[in-house]
Amino acid sequence: MKKLVSLFLVLALALGMMSFASAEDGWVTLRVETYDRDTPGFDVTDCWQLKYAQENFGDPNKIKLEFISYARWTENDLLVNDMAGGTAPDLCMTYNAPVQQFINDGGLRPLDDLLNEYGPDLKAFIGEELLSYGQSDQDGDGVKEQWFIPARRMSVANVGNFIRKDWLEKLNMEKPTNIAELTEYLRQAKAQNLGGENTIPFSFGIFAQDPMFNVRRITDAFVDFNQVTEEDWFALAHNPEMLPGAREGFRWLNTLYHEELLPEGFATNDDLATDTALTQGYTGFFSQQPDQPWRDDKNYEVELEKAVPGASWETVNPFLNESLGKHLHDVYSANGLSIIIPKTTSDEAAVAAMKYLNWMAIPENMFMLQNGIEGINYGRLTEDGIPTDVVNTENVPNDHKMHAGDICFIANGLCFFDDVKNAAALALKFTGYEDEVRDSYVDAMTDTWTQIAFTTEVEAATDYDATVKSKQAEFLAAVISCDADQFDAVFDAGIEEIKTVGATEMIEGFRAAYQAGTYRGTFPGAK
Amino acid sequence: MAKQATEIKVHQPLRVSLARDWRLYFMMILPVTFYILFCYKPMLGIIIAFEKFNMFKGMWASEWVGFKNFEFVMRMPDFKVALTNTLWLNFVGLLAGFPVPIILAIMLNEIRAVKVKKVSQTLLYLPHFLSWIIIGGMVLQIFAPSGVVNTALKRWGWIEKSIPFLTEGVHWQTTYTLVGVWQSMGWGTILYLSAITGINMELFEAAKIDGANKMQQIWHVTLPGIRSTIVVLLILNVGQMMNIGFDRPFVLGNPQVQKYCDVLSTFVYRAGIKNSKFDRATAIGLFQSVVGLIMISTANLITKRLGEEGIW
Repeated sequence: MKKLVSLFLVLALALGMMSFASAEDGWVTLRVETYDRDTPGFDVTDCWQLKYAQENFGDPNKIKLEFISYARWTENDLLVNDMAGGTAPDLCMTYNAPVQQFINDGGLRPLDDLLNEYGPDLKAFIGEELLSYGQSDQDGDGVKEQWFIPARRMSVANVGNFIRKDWLEKLNMEKPTNIAELTEYLRQAKAQNLGGENTIPFSFGIFAQDPMFNVRRITDAFVDFNQVTEEDWFALAHNPEMLPGAREGFRWLNTLYHEELLPEGFATNDDLATDTALTQGYTGFFSQQPDQPWRDDKNYEVELEKAVPGASWETVNPFLNESLGKHLHDVYSANGLSIIIPKTTSDEAAVAAMKYLNWMAIPENMFMLQNGIEGINYGRLTEDGIPTDVVNTENVPNDHKMHAGDICFIANGLCFFDDVKNAAALALKFTGYEDEVRDSYVDAMTDTWTQIAFTTEVEAATDYDATVKSKQAEFLAAVISCDADQFDAVFDAGIEEIKTVGATEMIEGFRAAYQAGTYRGTFPGAK
Repeated sequence: MAKQATEIKVHQPLRVSLARDWRLYFMMILPVTFYILFCYKPMLGIIIAFEKFNMFKGMWASEWVGFKNFEFVMRMPDFKVALTNTLWLNFVGLLAGFPVPIILAIMLNEIRAVKVKKVSQTLLYLPHFLSWIIIGGMVLQIFAPSGVVNTALKRWGWIEKSIPFLTEGVHWQTTYTLVGVWQSMGWGTILYLSAITGINMELFEAAKIDGANKMQQIWHVTLPGIRSTIVVLLILNVGQMMNIGFDRPFVLGNPQVQKYCDVLSTFVYRAGIKNSKFDRATAIGLFQSVVGLIMISTANLITKRLGEEGIW
């Protein structure tokens, strides 16, 4: 037994020395943050894409790639922790972590030299305009440095509204095109219990992380744009509940609630109940990402068809703003997630990181990373070279289950280096539902306005954003569920409270940022 | 008893006791290291509460700002709400939850069939080992407006409208408290059960011979026998009044009852950690600890004045 142990120890030592020796050989380890969506059976730290990148990029460049798993929905908290602890991966990406704070506090590596020396293809792919989103002057010499690389978004579409096609037929109704028609549809669906005794005509819940994110798509339809200046629009970036007219939107929700057209427990964040209602056919209307009903991970369409034969979802545009005569849709700005190299990354690893990003930007590499292998991930290529007959995640081998948007993170969405192909590809990956998805994207891109972002840190927002959001969630729950005759009192009191917990400071901060011109996004009411 | 022991104890030089009991001291190394590493070393971190903390510069190089973080946090309207809720929920929890394990322990102690006793004990301990995330999911399934209870009651025609277990403030606080009692009551019996085992059996026999019935035995023998345990646990619990776990209020809470479910731990998460304002989070933590220390000292002092043994 003792001999065995000592043999083992000697072996371990020898192996350790070998790896040490290989490091001296000029090999560099590159640790890359990788989103983990908890796909059953799939291990992001040991997947086909990793092997492919290792073989085709790592080995020739003497770089040992490691993927570090980051849970997708808590990525920002994880990254902040690792940044604070000095243990962040060599190459990171984030949607929601406070990148501006990282920059201000000196936690990031400037990327200019790396980008110029090792990133020509990456530079070309992202483009000057987008790259400038990641630049700011921190050392005060009047020249902006590159602090992060914004990923390029392939599609900026963000909102889809969906209605039950079979219910419309049963009710003998046309697709609703405004609030009144939608209300009528919801009422009829309830009156006739189209989803059985559990009918919930309108699927609605509070997204506690950012309560107004979804809700403003409803309430913006009630905003009187004759009374909104561009400056107000930007100042109220995080407080759409204070826009003139928005009150009526909340009143509408209150009415729906009391007519039992919304789920009774809408405030309890019961995702399971929401999903069940959508797939079991209890629900008649919901809003989500434009491709949501057909997505792999939560396929509301396929599950619904199984539960209720003949049922299906289709896209609809009911949120007409009367003052503009438009069905407003917010869209993402052209930049996706932010790619950063922490200060703790070694010089060698930083070079390796930039080389890796550059390798990704080469079309054939991006194609392989995003689409996988013919015969495994997709059936065949179209004449244009876009994969079609895409295989459902459930039916591919475990190590091929990488989410296409996560692996090649310089691009948010499938990219074929051609605008027309990119647009076609949005729908082509949804085998059997190409037309529905295409229609949904067309709807999502009507009367768009680009989401607001500020290009310098608004300190009040860092200080108060979380408390304001929590107060907004409380406000939302209160105004929707309060007695109708109390609505105005509850609404006014709620607005006052949101103001006192920091919204006043935030609005001032955003207003100043607008006046200084440090903002992005568009104003839908522009004449 | 304690006094006698100190009188006969002979003070020995450290060298002698080390030589004799080195094995015991050796075994102590591990727990002592644990406390130094995980309890004393992190305490240095409280200086973050007085800094404008820059996570990349670390706590030694960040800018010193004195009490600014405390001022900022305490001026936030939510802070008062969270503080009041923390104290109130803990107080109600203590009131409802403290006697239950005692009663339960006495009841378990009276069970004569060994198997029944073992099985009920195991069943009672079980919830303690469930994560609050799981319990939260169960509570949602059972008590939500469309949950099992409301659906059943409605179907039987007992109620017209759902009972807002989770969506109205007072109902929510009741649900919160009772779920907490349910989760911890079994585990809490362990100390009492061992204390009851320590009671001299002759006392019970004497009581029986004097004609005491079961209730009288419990009242006059069992309860006085575990009195010191009860007092110690009460002091410890009072010391915890300012502390509240994060998972339970976070998982059970929802925006509709925000004013009733927001407590210091969730407030710290929101106002400190989520905004990556670690300095403010530390300030609230330090405030909690200081108040907790004051409370536990006061409780200890009062018990001592009342003639009981304190915890120090």
